[in-house]
Amino acid sequence: MSDQTKSWLETRLPLASSMQSCIWNMKMAVEKPYLAALGSLITATLIFLTLSGFVLSLFYVAAPGAAFDSIQFISRNVDNGWLVRSFHATGATMLFAATYLVVFRTLLTGGYRAPNELTWILKLVFLGLVLIIGYFGYAMADGAVSYWSLHETTVAGARLTSFPGAISNWVFGGPAGPGTLGRVAVLHSALALLGFGVLALHLAAKRAVAPVPTKTVTLHPYYTSHHFVAFAVFALIFAVLVFFAPHWGENQLNLAAANPLVVPAVLTPPWYLLPVSAFAAASSSPLGSIFLVLAGFAVLFAAPWLDQSKGTKPGLFYKILVAVLALDVFGLCMAQADGPSMLSSILSTIFIGWYFLHFLVLSPLATAMESKK
Amino acid sequence: MANTATHTASDEVEAPAKRDFLKILTVSAGAVALGATAWPLIDAMNPTVSELAVAKPIVNVGGIAPNTALRIMWLGQPIYIRKLTPQQIADNQFIVPDTLPDPASYTDRVKPGYETFVVVVGLNTGISCELLGNSPSDARGPFDGWSCPCDGSIYDPLGRVRSGPARKNLAIPRFTFLNDTQIQFG
Repeated sequence: MSDQTKSWLETRLPLASSMQSCIWNMKMAVEKPYLAALGSLITATLIFLTLSGFVLSLFYVAAPGAAFDSIQFISRNVDNGWLVRSFHATGATMLFAATYLVVFRTLLTGGYRAPNELTWILKLVFLGLVLIIGYFGYAMADGAVSYWSLHETTVAGARLTSFPGAISNWVFGGPAGPGTLGRVAVLHSALALLGFGVLALHLAAKRAVAPVPTKTVTLHPYYTSHHFVAFAVFALIFAVLVFFAPHWGENQLNLAAANPLVVPAVLTPPWYLLPVSAFAAASSSPLGSIFLVLAGFAVLFAAPWLDQSKGTKPGLFYKILVAVLALDVFGLCMAQADGPSMLSSILSTIFIGWYFLHFLVLSPLATAMESKK
Repeated sequence: MANTATHTASDEVEAPAKRDFLKILTVSAGAVALGATAWPLIDAMNPTVSELAVAKPIVNVGGIAPNTALRIMWLGQPIYIRKLTPQQIADNQFIVPDTLPDPASYTDRVKPGYETFVVVVGLNTGISCELLGNSPSDARGPFDGWSCPCDGSIYDPLGRVRSGPARKNLAIPRFTFLNDTQIQFG
């Protein structure tokens, strides 16, 4: 671009100067940890998933049976289709890993406390949204496990009455039929775009309550290079998974085509849906499952108000409790991934019980104790 | 470099050049990585090999008997591949193009070196209707070419319109002769 074109464009659309003042020269606090880059990484991963999902959607056929075949076609016939499919599946894994990490880090550092209640709620809204998108994506795979999972979800949903039943019918169009996958596919991409809106709201809310830093540096070159390092590590993990374990965390039975007359022995979802799946599996009635999942989210949403710290920094006891909670959720996922058995059912009940105990009793007690010192 | 204890004056002087080099290296590595990630996404949007095979079919024309035509479907349209007889060539070779409704010479309608084959889209150019005349027993009209069963337009063996409501010659699809017996469309 010549200088003349530049000034012509600049007077009409001052992109370069606003980039200069709003992005490159933005004042940032010094010595932010590398994990502070997770927000940028989540945004980048969502953009990446949108692009790879767009390419997959060019070939995807949203119909039972045909969907599985179209994914096989993508893997075998489309130029680099196997890679794009691995990109998308592994991108989902990375997005969930980063999102879960952000949620646990916020719990650990007490980042949900006033005045950060709203940023915490938006983080949880984003987590809930990606869980729904993730479930829809898993259903779209149309393998043996996906097929039966969608079947059972929609049949249970159609049996519900009043409002929950109406939502299920609006989303799935009744028990899984020829049109269900089409709805799921459209919602999968539409909600993904909504995710960008939630991320933008979160960023705006975070900036509004961020303390004014005493010592600052400009974003460029300090935090661009900082993010570049974080991004390189993130991309390295991503690349290792893409090229050496593209199906990591998936149920292997889902790589087989569905048989409408044979239910697979173990209906476990991909790893990132295991916590929700474990909460849902703890009750035998559909309404009970919905209640448990919502309750599991409700205690997270209520964390800022259950907290009794009154502004003091989280102490060691509280941090140990959060670390135990992380182990608890990990154990819950392991028990759920193991498939239905007496042992895993007992363990799941204990782990879920500890989860609620943590948020409703232990965490308020620990923060109250630590604020008195 | 990070060890400040070993910093000397010469290091300080060299540092900007070193930093520029590292910057160029990092940005280029980043650009290469970005390109390598974007390439599979772009490449995947290309048509697949099976789609290209359907789009560019190879047809064997060695078995077509003189005075008959082979009918194939390509891109949803009927394509007629006709082998001319010496009589048909003689009848149509020296007609002055300007005397025809849509002037075209013999050489305009065939490929050089393969002058006995006429390849046309078998749809009437007036009312879109599939033409008769691939077999000698069909109604071919007075010029021994094709006739339209819908509006009565008459074409000669080269696919040039001779009479009838139609005013344009039959369309010639895009194709090439691979050898004496094979043609490829597309």
